[in-house]
Amino acid sequence: MSVPKQTGEIFDLLSKGQFICSNSSDSDIRKLFDVIDDKNNFESLSEYFKAINFVLEKGDEFYYFSRTESKADLERKLETAFRWIDLIDFFKSFDNSFASGYQVTPSEIAVKISVDAVLKNKADGIRNVLKLDDKTSYPEIVNKAIDSLIKDGFAEMENEILKSYKVLASFKYLEELVTNINIPENIQNEIPE
Amino acid sequence: MNHFNSIRELLNTLNRGHKLLAELFEKRKSLSYKYEYALDVLDGNDDIIQLLINKDIIRQNGNFLELDDQFLQFFEQILEVNEEINTSYINENIRQVKDEYMLYYLQANSDGERYKYLKAVKSSLRKIGRITVRNILDLSRNIENTFKTEPNYKIKLSKLEVHKQKLTAIQLLIEQTEKLITEDELTFFKTASDEELRAITTQLRLELTESRQNLIETRKQIIEYINQIKYQSKFIEKLRLVKYLRDQYEIKAKSNLVELINNNKATVFESKPSYPLKISVNYLQTDAGYEVVKKLSRRIKTGIRPSVQIAEVISQDYLNPETEKEVFINIHEVKNSFTAGGNHLFDFLMNYKFLREVPFDERVTVFCQMISMFEEDFDVTEKFNRYNEIEYAVVYPK
Repeated sequence: MSVPKQTGEIFDLLSKGQFICSNSSDSDIRKLFDVIDDKNNFESLSEYFKAINFVLEKGDEFYYFSRTESKADLERKLETAFRWIDLIDFFKSFDNSFASGYQVTPSEIAVKISVDAVLKNKADGIRNVLKLDDKTSYPEIVNKAIDSLIKDGFAEMENEILKSYKVLASFKYLEELVTNINIPENIQNEIPE
Repeated sequence: MNHFNSIRELLNTLNRGHKLLAELFEKRKSLSYKYEYALDVLDGNDDIIQLLINKDIIRQNGNFLELDDQFLQFFEQILEVNEEINTSYINENIRQVKDEYMLYYLQANSDGERYKYLKAVKSSLRKIGRITVRNILDLSRNIENTFKTEPNYKIKLSKLEVHKQKLTAIQLLIEQTEKLITEDELTFFKTASDEELRAITTQLRLELTESRQNLIETRKQIIEYINQIKYQSKFIEKLRLVKYLRDQYEIKAKSNLVELINNNKATVFESKPSYPLKISVNYLQTDAGYEVVKKLSRRIKTGIRPSVQIAEVISQDYLNPETEKEVFINIHEVKNSFTAGGNHLFDFLMNYKFLREVPFDERVTVFCQMISMFEEDFDVTEKFNRYNEIEYAVVYPK
């Protein structure tokens, strides 16, 4: 079985829990995406990675790895999921259209925090999940929140001078995750508007 | 109420206030054009403002001024910048053409009258085509604007729904117009066989076809936008529910999150793996490996000093000088004895007594060496002799 010569790079990225997105500003990653996106390559890579217990998963404009047997314990996974829920909620409160392809600078969010009480409240709320103390300033919280997105592979720095960041296609993974959470109807009715 | 006695008066008034009117038109969206600004624009000439207000061209609202709606619409229509899609206008036109002009035309007695109605029909048909195309352009621009700029999701959705209704209305109008010129009023079109009318109807049909095609694209666009918004607002709603449960610490009990996460095996949940592979022993034995070990040892500061292993003493035998003797043929000496004798070179060399035994091959080499070295001192004749397999030149000393 022949695999593309970028297989090593692909493995390095994906096995660390990163995503390979079509809208990355890094041309190397875009190239890797194109390599995987080739139908023949996708099949041979899937087979290749399957042999070492990784499943190459295809999302909407992004690729990632999952395992046949999960290695992370439930506790840790829940903690991660909670952090994500809080972060999505925070960024969506900043702007409803915060999604794949969105460009943002931390200062924009910091400015809105100072005039929007709801957003400020949410910013205070994410101190916990980001493990920050009460003294952390709001711009710092925003920076940490964006850092957290970057670390998990859902955003990337686009322009170092302007300090602008871009939300990657992998953000859809988070949206899907939230959409897939099923809340029974009778409980939905209990939740106030 | 008509404030103008003639078109000339109207044009004059507009001309006098043109600076302010242009300014007001440009800022028609802002709703807050102050009286003072107007004064500045007109260099403090209050009379013109009063005139325009008296003639109902602009309206005063407290301290603010705005363009009268009638004029605003007129300007917008002429400049083709209107944002309102008005389908009733075409509707009215169609009705008028069908129920009035065409009917009157058929009932008219004189050519003069008939001509009048024909002209009205032509102008209406021309207008219908142009307005339809413009309406569609406006509509798609409005859709785009609404989608991109309206911040409130609910308003955005309602606005898009309204645009969608308008789109349907326009489509209906196109159908009606087509029916009008192809089916309903056949008598009229047969009777009024005018060259210009035919050209206009052809043009209208082309415009309608184009409009219909544009509408398909616009409809696709609007449906996609609406779907996107619905997905977004559905997502926001879902997020709100999830977040609420999360804040109440009930999410584990009241949703399938645990099960969902349990089944999710994506590597993104795992901590970043490091691969503690054993170092290659072969690598450690190389010079590069030694450097790495040294660097590491400096950092760790173990205090262990690796003792440098001293190599064994080199045996004295290796250090004793050895001599090897080689008998060297001194060509200069050979030359000297050759010049002293009278024999030719080849013969001389064959018989010469060297310090060691010299084989035939080497003697020939010496022959060649001597000729090339002392060509100047020898007399190389044209005569050749043979010896064994060799042909050689006869050489005498000079």
